[in-house]
Amino acid sequence: MTTKDKEEIDAARRCFLRRATTTVGGIGLAATSVPFISYWLPSVDTEAAAAPIKIDISAVQPRQQYTVSWRGQPIWIIHRTQDMLATLPQLTNQLRDPDSLEDQQPVYAKNINRSIKPEFFIAIGVCTHLGCIPNYRPEIGGVSPDWLGGFYCPCHGSRYDLSGRVYKGVPAPLNLKIPRHMYLSDTEIMVGQDQEGVEGA
Amino acid sequence: MHSTNKQGLFNWLAARFPVREFSERHLTGYYAPRNFNFWYYFGSFSLLVLVNQIVTGIWLAMEYTPTAESAFASVQHIMRDVHYGWLLRLMHTTGASAFFIVVYLHMYRALIYGSYRKPRELLWLIGMLIYITLLLEAFTGYVLPWGQMSYWGATVITSFASAIPYVGKYLVVWLRGDFTVSGVTLHRFFSLHVIAVPLVLCALVFLHLVALHYVGSNNPDGIEIKEHKNSSGHPIDGIPFHPYYTLKDLVGVMVFLIIFSLILFYTPKMGGLFLESENYLPVNALQTPEHIAPVWYMTPFYAILRAVPNKFLGLVAMAAAIALMFVLPWLDRSKVKSIRYKGVWSKAAIVLFIICFVGLGYLGIQPVSTLRSFMAQVFSIGYFLFYLTMPFYTRYEKTKPLPERLTK
Amino acid sequence: MMKYFLLLIALICSSVNCLAEETQIALDHAPIQVNDIASIKRGAKFFATTCMACHTLIYMRYNSLAEEAGVTYDRMPINVKNWPLNVTPPDLSLEADVRGVDWIYTYLHSFYADPSRPTGVNNLLVPNTAMPGIVAALQGQQVFATDMRASRRYFGGHLQWYDELILQSQGALSPQQFDASMTDVVNFLYYSAEPYRAEQNRLGYWVIGFLLILWAMMYYLKKNYWKDIEK
Repeated sequence: MTTKDKEEIDAARRCFLRRATTTVGGIGLAATSVPFISYWLPSVDTEAAAAPIKIDISAVQPRQQYTVSWRGQPIWIIHRTQDMLATLPQLTNQLRDPDSLEDQQPVYAKNINRSIKPEFFIAIGVCTHLGCIPNYRPEIGGVSPDWLGGFYCPCHGSRYDLSGRVYKGVPAPLNLKIPRHMYLSDTEIMVGQDQEGVEGA
Repeated sequence: MHSTNKQGLFNWLAARFPVREFSERHLTGYYAPRNFNFWYYFGSFSLLVLVNQIVTGIWLAMEYTPTAESAFASVQHIMRDVHYGWLLRLMHTTGASAFFIVVYLHMYRALIYGSYRKPRELLWLIGMLIYITLLLEAFTGYVLPWGQMSYWGATVITSFASAIPYVGKYLVVWLRGDFTVSGVTLHRFFSLHVIAVPLVLCALVFLHLVALHYVGSNNPDGIEIKEHKNSSGHPIDGIPFHPYYTLKDLVGVMVFLIIFSLILFYTPKMGGLFLESENYLPVNALQTPEHIAPVWYMTPFYAILRAVPNKFLGLVAMAAAIALMFVLPWLDRSKVKSIRYKGVWSKAAIVLFIICFVGLGYLGIQPVSTLRSFMAQVFSIGYFLFYLTMPFYTRYEKTKPLPERLTK
Repeated sequence: MMKYFLLLIALICSSVNCLAEETQIALDHAPIQVNDIASIKRGAKFFATTCMACHTLIYMRYNSLAEEAGVTYDRMPINVKNWPLNVTPPDLSLEADVRGVDWIYTYLHSFYADPSRPTGVNNLLVPNTAMPGIVAALQGQQVFATDMRASRRYFGGHLQWYDELILQSQGALSPQQFDASMTDVVNFLYYSAEPYRAEQNRLGYWVIGFLLILWAMMYYLKKNYWKDIEK
């Protein structure tokens, strides 16, 4: 074997050793980062605090808005009357997404009432524009002369109907979000969980 | 431009930042003695542990609460509820003890090879400042879990200040921010431990490396490799730090990590030495533990303090024990640097010094007894004699002739 | 010189406490297995039904194994004042770390009848303990051995608890069954102090195994480069 051959083998061996060690070392560094990244996930107690909650809706009077805090956000339970529900079909061409095609609600809320039971509207009371909490304005003519009732956000003027569907021509892009929920009985709902599973973060 | 993208990026950077110059001066162009042995690993190990403490510390600070009401519970929260919180916390506690093991061995290397001698006196002084800062960092850190030992250890150590005449008792209240150690003290120690002291530590470590690179590393023979240079201007007995010592240090790091992991995963408490049992009890200001002892790395000085039966003089002795280490470069009058070429007196002195230092460390952990107090006094005297007699035995002992070139 | 180092370090490490400091009784070894989940679960049930009347376990709040066994926050005597003898039973979440598992195991075995005490019992490890004889129903009644010479047995110069106590009448469990039951409880208490222990040991194997491989690779890489400068 010539010196040149030997040098080539040595260089190849060195290159192999360097690459192999760097690769295995890289795997080690990647594995080491796992605990540091996992550490940032919600801790067990944080997840417990974010667990789905039961809400007693028996005391919510007709036309009344009942608000419960969950995961740091307001959950609205609105007891809608028949005349309030009757306003909904009249607004179709004033709304951005009247048929709730955007993914802002579970499949059972993909209807004109955006709820399981028409008389109870359950939504997350956060404006889809920049996150303010809209005001509940059920009174006819309250926000404008042709206002049929709904929600008005004071921050930038976004408007929603009594199903939380957003009007055209306002800054908010989407209908109000409907959380996963289910009825445990006629008087009790569970927000954050339904037959399919638990609401994500 | 015919270079690859990676090279192009490097060139862009190199035109705006001294990356090439840095690499040439401090890595491929920094010539270190070719005979570095086992004792030369501990500097880079110290740097590794520093990084470990900072990174795990940052993560811990995300979930820790520095108030008297919640501190202890927040540590349990980290250990139980936070994903891998237990791992990061144990990495931090194991790292704290590992830091001192490594630093003591690093200092021992300097002791036996005369790495504190001219022209490296400043290097040694900066190193001593790092040591003091590290003791402060460890002390403030140990208070944070707010267990019994945290509280009572803080009480004992802050009351050292009361031994200072006239201003002592005001100083103690000023240090604590309250009339006894309390949540106020805890909160300020948190700030010191997480921000102030680490900044000082990093600055000192940087200065330490600057001072080292300016004069070049010492070696086990204690002779200067810069005295014999080849035609290219590099020391004949020197080798480029990169890739030779970067690779060698990496091998050493692997062994270090294996030992570190054995402790971390199987015995992080180390029989109560690294994590004291008493600290698993939350603070009870109305009940002193039976047996207060600082963590093992502070026990040699604690033993010296206890050996002197006078409050003020005990503190003076303890301070003197540390202060003497600072003046070591000027106490050593030997013609040679390294223990390899020093006389039998120096060799005996080092052995006795180590016995005294380790003995004091052991006694500092134990509760007092008549025999132990006596032994502590004997070892303390031995400790001081090592320094105080050094100017004499180093000057007058018979040394071996130095070699011209480095030996293995 | 290295040998002195290592010897001293070994001496320090081996000075782990094998004695109960207050009374100098040698501690019996608690034969717990940290990965015996069944044992931990039995211990949890025992704790929930027997110990939790007085003792809290406040840091086990979000632990699913504990919850399933009935160790839940709402059943613990938190914020109860007015305990008998004015002694609040300590929270046991970290007791296994404070005292050690061997201590707790020995403590549970060391109750004996003592008419001079308001509770009617005393304990070798905690003289004049305020804790009542809960375990007596299972272990039986023990008395302080009056004839020391007959029952004295030495273990390295220190007495075991069974050198000083005699079982006068057996309880619901035989001595072996009682030992097993107490092992389960102690195992649960150790789990309560360190629920991550099993995972910690398991991870250790993988990490050290990986490091051994990487060490070998680093070693060969270093040797390869150093050939250039070896004479």
